[in-house]
Amino acid sequence: MAHKFFSHATIERNVMLLLVLALITVSIGGIVEVVPLFTIETTVEHVKGVRPYSPLELAGRNIYIREGCYLCHSQQIRSLRDEVERYGHWSLAAESMYDHPFQWGSKRIGPDLARVGGKYSNDWHSAHLINPQALVPESLMPSYRFLAEAPLRMDETAEHLRTVRAVGVPYTPEQIANAQADLETQATLGADTASLLKRYPKANMVATPGDQITELTALIAYLQVLGTMVDFADTSTEALQQ
Amino acid sequence: MDDDIADAIVGWCMVPLCLLGLLIAARAHDSEMYLFGFSLAGFTALFGFGLIKRHYDQKDQARARVKAGDHV
Amino acid sequence: MSDHVLSTAAPDYNEEVVRKFIIAGMFWGVIAFALGTYLALELTWPAFNLGFSFTNFGRLRPVHTSAAIFAFGGSILFGTALHVVQRTCRARLWGGPALANFIFWGYQFFIVMAALSYVMGFSKGREYAEPEWHIDLWLTLVWVLMTVVYVGTLLRRAEPHIYVANWFYLAFLITVAMLHIVNNLTLPVSFFGAKSYSLFSGVQDAMVQWWYGHNAVGFFLTAGFLGMMYYFIPKAAGRPVYSYRLSIVHFWALIFLYIWAGPHHLHYTALPDWTQTLGMAFSIMLWMPSWGGMINGLMTLSGAWDKLRTDPGLRFSVTAVGFYGMATFEGPVMSVREVNSLSHYTDWGIGHVHSGALGWVAFISFGAMYYLIPVLWKRERMWSVKLISWHYWIATLGIVFYISSMWVAGIMQGLMWRAYDSFGFLQYSFIESVVAVHPYYIIRMVGGLCFLAGSVMMAFNMFMTIRGPQPAHQNTGRGFGQRLAVAGE
Repeated sequence: MAHKFFSHATIERNVMLLLVLALITVSIGGIVEVVPLFTIETTVEHVKGVRPYSPLELAGRNIYIREGCYLCHSQQIRSLRDEVERYGHWSLAAESMYDHPFQWGSKRIGPDLARVGGKYSNDWHSAHLINPQALVPESLMPSYRFLAEAPLRMDETAEHLRTVRAVGVPYTPEQIANAQADLETQATLGADTASLLKRYPKANMVATPGDQITELTALIAYLQVLGTMVDFADTSTEALQQ
Repeated sequence: MDDDIADAIVGWCMVPLCLLGLLIAARAHDSEMYLFGFSLAGFTALFGFGLIKRHYDQKDQARARVKAGDHV
Repeated sequence: MSDHVLSTAAPDYNEEVVRKFIIAGMFWGVIAFALGTYLALELTWPAFNLGFSFTNFGRLRPVHTSAAIFAFGGSILFGTALHVVQRTCRARLWGGPALANFIFWGYQFFIVMAALSYVMGFSKGREYAEPEWHIDLWLTLVWVLMTVVYVGTLLRRAEPHIYVANWFYLAFLITVAMLHIVNNLTLPVSFFGAKSYSLFSGVQDAMVQWWYGHNAVGFFLTAGFLGMMYYFIPKAAGRPVYSYRLSIVHFWALIFLYIWAGPHHLHYTALPDWTQTLGMAFSIMLWMPSWGGMINGLMTLSGAWDKLRTDPGLRFSVTAVGFYGMATFEGPVMSVREVNSLSHYTDWGIGHVHSGALGWVAFISFGAMYYLIPVLWKRERMWSVKLISWHYWIATLGIVFYISSMWVAGIMQGLMWRAYDSFGFLQYSFIESVVAVHPYYIIRMVGGLCFLAGSVMMAFNMFMTIRGPQPAHQNTGRGFGQRLAVAGE
């Protein structure tokens, strides 16, 4: 091979040159595709209603994540006619803007859950999670009875909110100060929900049978808020443009 | 000779890693961190002892070869 | 302007670390395939979830994917990379035996910790990046050390030119490091707790995850294994690589274009249109350098096609390249928005993944291992060449069952979800699509069982090869010694 200065041989005879050129080459695509998503202002649509998760919802979300629910259930309704008809309005970027991490999913062994909030009762969710086949005989879902038997860990609630705030979710000092109380209120029958609902509009009460707040309670609270935050009757076409 | 120095550095690095493992296990907030801390401590300790064993095994073998009249 | 060291002494290669990685790869491969088969069983008959938290699909699936990609794939990649870099550079491994040993055992430690964490109920909730932050950090340490050892060995090479296999291995190492670090940026709730929250959220997080996810395929499962191909096919065939020029062009094109393909995982989602279009366009362009690799690999057999009759190990490698071509055609097709509107979320994606994972990744690994095992343990050949042939056929059968059942299932799901009846209502409920694919899930499970059976044959063959000399009667055709002479090293 001729040994000209700009021939590939130059690169092949120098490890660091090869390494640096390769690194530059592989960096370009990522920068072009990721950075503008932060700088183009309309990437996240300007709609009203999306709020940070309540402490109980956040705990439920963490359970959803760790159990790998996203492996069978998507949370992203595509802008396709049949999908919108089956599941509801297509998912907006704004609706998952506080989701650390996102849980859009990539496979539907079970149905999409982006707008499952409010579609089934708490009791239905409880029964379904404990024994899916009792409600849907042909379901492939495993039993999550163990969640009903596991007390919810509540000793680090405020810490979790603080950490999520540190990654960009606007929890107020009031929300953090009341984290523990709000979690318990949302899971207690007959509790005074006024201040909870002021801090977290459209939060759903999920009562637990017995006196212990379980992981199942938290998961149901999370499922019941999915897709309910944005009032689509109250949006305009301009607001939905990316 | 170079290898000996490199191996020694790797060996000494096991010490802070082992202590880190114990620290993690001691202050763990959940079962997974607890397991990770102890496993890290156990792994680095075993690895370090393995290095020491290998070093002296090689020394013994070299001495045996010299005794038998081979080149070292 | 070169940086190699002139040396005439025969280097004392570190083969111990290579042997360890190959054994580990075989071990984890069988486990990964067994887990996959068990998951297939759970999806066919959900009673197999057993009701325990640690045996259900949601917790076991990441164990399978991590075992297949990192434990099996990663061990074979590290092992072959360390072998190839020493041999093609004619240089002993940089850093000393303890460091190499630490990379091996440290990597195994990562694998075990990750798997245990998933079944214990700890996961970051990102596909192929499930381990929590502290396990990620440990992997970063091991990965950086591996890269340093690899580059250090290249720097002390006696051969002035860096052989093409090493370009691919190097690109694999540094790109995966970049992807891993950026995608796993999280803030732990406490430094003594496993739980952490991702730095990014929503649509930006989705983009970062699939920038990572697709390039885990592109660099971990493709570039690294292309490096393997570029060494082991010429070696086994006793032929030089078909085209040097093609290898240059397709290398740079591949590593540039692959990175952009991520958005094809996010068609019709809340990811902006411009990003989706970029992802689609680059995915389609990616077909070219991928097939460049396929052509280079296949045409290297030119003048040596008869070896396929007598060397079943080589058969694995060549078939692997064929599957690689198939998967890298299917991928761009599925990246087209309209096609993706049918395929996304369905089992077609699973079929595509496994045609690549079983057909390309596993087969090229088997081909490399069948060549390397006799070399590493100084045997003339594998214990049973016939068993390699059995492995080949049963594994190929398994792949065919797997892919075809998933194609049918996936397209069926896609069509059922979008079907309207004559009144203009959606024709099928979701559960009806679940019921419809049940028979294909059975076939897929059988396919997995076949593939697993083949791998067990290989493990047995490997065990017998390592343990002792060959039996007296063997129909082997061309011997290992002759292959060595032709390849010249």
